[in-house]
Amino acid sequence: MNAPLLAAQDVSRRFGYREIFSNVTLTLEPGEVLALVGPNGAGKTTLLRILAGLLKPTTGSVRRNGTIGLVAHHSMGYDALTARENLAFAARLWGVSETGRIDRLLDRLGLSKWGEMRTAAFSRGMIQRLAIARALVHDPGILLLDEPLNSLDEPGAEVVLQVIDELAERGRAIAVVTHQFERIAAIATSVGYLVGGSLEGPEPVDERAAEVVSHKYRSLLASG
Amino acid sequence: MGDYARVVWAIIAKDATVEWRTKTAFLSAMVFAILVLSILFFARDPTAVSSLDVAPGALWVTFTFAAMVGLNRAFLLERENGAMDGMLLAPIPRTAIFVGKMGGNLLFVALVEAISIPLFILFYNVSLAGRLPQLILVTAMATVAFVAVGTLLSAMVVRTRFAELMLPVLLLPFLIPPVVSAVQVTARILAGRPLSEMMGWLKLLAGFDIVFCVLTVLLFEATLDE
Repeated sequence: MNAPLLAAQDVSRRFGYREIFSNVTLTLEPGEVLALVGPNGAGKTTLLRILAGLLKPTTGSVRRNGTIGLVAHHSMGYDALTARENLAFAARLWGVSETGRIDRLLDRLGLSKWGEMRTAAFSRGMIQRLAIARALVHDPGILLLDEPLNSLDEPGAEVVLQVIDELAERGRAIAVVTHQFERIAAIATSVGYLVGGSLEGPEPVDERAAEVVSHKYRSLLASG
Repeated sequence: MGDYARVVWAIIAKDATVEWRTKTAFLSAMVFAILVLSILFFARDPTAVSSLDVAPGALWVTFTFAAMVGLNRAFLLERENGAMDGMLLAPIPRTAIFVGKMGGNLLFVALVEAISIPLFILFYNVSLAGRLPQLILVTAMATVAFVAVGTLLSAMVVRTRFAELMLPVLLLPFLIPPVVSAVQVTARILAGRPLSEMMGWLKLLAGFDIVFCVLTVLLFEATLDE
């Protein structure tokens, strides 16, 4: 078995007196696609930010064995720059060569036609595609995605799911926060339920995952 | 180019491109500079106060407040769309982010100052023949000091609800020492005094530059904790 690319041990987070979650332990193995489901306010985004290293856990620790790519609620880009310039800036920060890579990413995410357009003029779906391209600019070992299919049309969502699947096949570890497990059921290899301040799982899922997960999620919500 | 310099340059170039395209802060700063220079000029009684007496103060009030417009904008730009997260995820020294943002701010303030000085000469009818290098020297020294503190405080207040109001309140007390020194030196330059008379103030300014730059670089990381 390969060493996990990411390991979170007994992670808890408080904001003031409010405990968001406690004792979260999870690992991300190469090739794993972990779906993190949970209701609004359960702390999924907070957990993702802790896993990414943007937020310190109140207790516990996170060990990363690879670079992080993050798709958050925001695009992390600049409206006055073009899509290509935004990716080039990210590439410079990561110290990766821009030659060819940016063109390939724009093409893969269906943004080639709009590469020279300032992102202020982008639709929400195009911004989301750019955010995903930005997260991939340095070919990260660990990819953390917060609602990656938000605002995407069906073809766009299909492309993103394909990209995630390809990355998993190449041994990247991926965590996807979602409200709609059924949309990523086909590519998820494990699922964790963040409900009532604790993480249930992660546990492996199979081809019947959508139905099983949906049933278990509903019962956890009812009991939590 | 080393990794550190590459990151610093990337941030400066990005900030300059964004400002060049939007011109939001630059136009506001220039309008502000023209207003301050003209109001202070017309507010004085020319029969009682010579323009040379108010000129140093007018110049530094203009520089200071016009610069604040740009400093306010510096980290708001990074907050929009969560762009700061994108920088923090990258394996780059945090201080490089600060130095890059400070470099962008210096460029912005230098441009505002470069346009304000001819306006100042025009309004206040001062002769800078042979003294322009001295004025540029003192302007550069004081600008480094207040841009360093301004950049740090801009990063600090950006997550507060009233960031644009908070920055002047926090920044102005720190600006008093370098700006007072700069006004003193400027007054002597405009009066045609020899450089030796200003050495004390210039040394003080150099001291502020060193202390402010070192402290702000060291403290920047603390402003990033959520």
